[in-house]
Amino acid sequence: MGQNIKRLIGAAILAIGGAAMAHADDSFTFTSWGGTTQDAQKASWADKFEAETKIKVLQDGPTDYGKFKAMVDSGAVGWDVVDVEPDFAYQAAKMGLLEPLDFNVISKKDIDPRFVFDHGIGSFYFSFVLGYNPTAVGDQAPTTWADLFDTKKVPGKRTFYKWASPGVLEIALLADGVAPDKLYPLDLDRAFKKLDSIKKDILWWGTGAESQQQLASGEAPLGMFWNGRIYALQKDGAPVDALWDQNLATADFLVVPKGSKHKEAAMKFIALATGAQGQADLANATAYAPINLKSEPLLNKDLVPLLPSKHAETQITLDLNYWAEHRDEIGKRWYDWQAK
Amino acid sequence: MTDASAGLTTSRPARLRRIAQPMRTDSGARPAWPAIAFLFVFFVLPVGALMLRSVTDPHWGLQNFSDLLATGTYARVLFNTFLVAATVTLVSLIIGYPLAWLIVMLPQRWQQLLLAILLMSMWTSLLARTYAWLVLLQRTGIINRGLMALGVIDQPLALVNNLTGVVIGMTYIMLPFVILPLRATLSSIDPSLMHAGAICGASSFRLFRSVLLPLSLPGIGAAGLMVFVMSLGYYITPALLGGTANMMLAELIAQTVQSFLNWGLGAAAALILLCATLVLYAVHMRYLDEDAR
Repeated sequence: MGQNIKRLIGAAILAIGGAAMAHADDSFTFTSWGGTTQDAQKASWADKFEAETKIKVLQDGPTDYGKFKAMVDSGAVGWDVVDVEPDFAYQAAKMGLLEPLDFNVISKKDIDPRFVFDHGIGSFYFSFVLGYNPTAVGDQAPTTWADLFDTKKVPGKRTFYKWASPGVLEIALLADGVAPDKLYPLDLDRAFKKLDSIKKDILWWGTGAESQQQLASGEAPLGMFWNGRIYALQKDGAPVDALWDQNLATADFLVVPKGSKHKEAAMKFIALATGAQGQADLANATAYAPINLKSEPLLNKDLVPLLPSKHAETQITLDLNYWAEHRDEIGKRWYDWQAK
Repeated sequence: MTDASAGLTTSRPARLRRIAQPMRTDSGARPAWPAIAFLFVFFVLPVGALMLRSVTDPHWGLQNFSDLLATGTYARVLFNTFLVAATVTLVSLIIGYPLAWLIVMLPQRWQQLLLAILLMSMWTSLLARTYAWLVLLQRTGIINRGLMALGVIDQPLALVNNLTGVVIGMTYIMLPFVILPLRATLSSIDPSLMHAGAICGASSFRLFRSVLLPLSLPGIGAAGLMVFVMSLGYYITPALLGGTANMMLAELIAQTVQSFLNWGLGAAAALILLCATLVLYAVHMRYLDEDAR
């Protein structure tokens, strides 16, 4: 009796294990930030990929860099394609946490050269813009980044991205009069001094949803935002506007964690996601810009003027190599300053 | 004969007790083993492994601890964490005690209704409840707008993104953890003691101070400790309702791990918090023991 039960359990374990193995062969895991962005990525990329290849795309999220590193360190890598922020992509590549991309499978011919490197390729590209709520700022609409630091001209709280990441320090320096081509290497003392001047008037947003809540409610009548979040608010009929002058462009990157067990499927998936159609579909759904230069003819006509790619003349591209080099050092100083 | 029979009658229950005692503890412990094993595998081991990383990651030594203490940030955040936890505990007790007493005093039907409301709030997502407070407390929120419309204030009060916001939000979340144990303590106090006091002419304040409060001290201690310890590790509510100057330790740990990918440093920060909590717990147990004696 006991023996039989043991045998039965053993068989069951084998069967379950076998099923999991078979399952693993024709599936892989895509991890992104959740919310509307990941929904759009699923609809634009994963659903099509599944239909084309019969390989199942499991969704996970949100992206968590601590977990990412723990997975690679322990060799138990459960993620295969991950949407990460640009500075992390560059730093992770440096730390040896990423698989090199296979450019025999992924074509980089039509990819905006700013957003592709050995270990990562753009997922979508976006800009930090000055967003404001016209009903809350009254007749004093901001016109430059400098106005974000001028509480006399435009009173009220201003909201900034909370985490140490490319963007805020650059905005502070631009507002202080640094020429766009002289931004890097960042003058950190000067940037923090500029931020000090309005510190008590700063609200921080940690997530896109938080930024939308603050702006739409008028809690912070102005601030820096991801352009896609402003677009989503406008689509919902919220009274918000964006200033594109000196918009700061950067991209989310798709990367493959070192030790991924489904590298082949991962590369195929990235090829589809960064193709002209995949990028156009995602842009149409989110108002983030395609990193594929051939996507534009496939975009909704009314959307085109709202994309960062249409505001390229005064656009400034954030220097990701600089950030990869100084991410930790800036981060320490950033959080020390914030907590003071 | 009488002696012998007396010896028999007294010794038999004693002997039985001696036999029964080990049997009882044995059969009492056995059902707990799966739970203990579960806790060991899924709690003690992982926490232990994480704590170990504080001295092994990236290499053996105490460098993580010296890194932590090198800047003022950690000390500031640690101080802030204890300040917030202590304030929340105090405010929760001040609000929760009369509420618990009210629930005990009410007729059965009302008691159940109030308890149901209390429990229902605990079923709602923490995140949703925290966002709700944000909407209520912010400068353009209902409370500020209402007060301004009534002419009580002409500038919005800063109720959120600061210590006030954190204390309000966390107190609200912690209240059930004060009210439920206090209700249990208070309802076990014999009402005739209060009657006796009243008959002897004690004022209601005297009754509270000399009868109710001393008898409910163990409940206050237990509830306070629970809320304090839970508050020490809170993450979402302070992150959303506090400003960056009110950062609590849980957020610092998350930042260390997620942003700097520094598991060793995060583990060191967590270990210090764990030790502080254990010390407090030990002090409390000692105090409770003495109380029982």
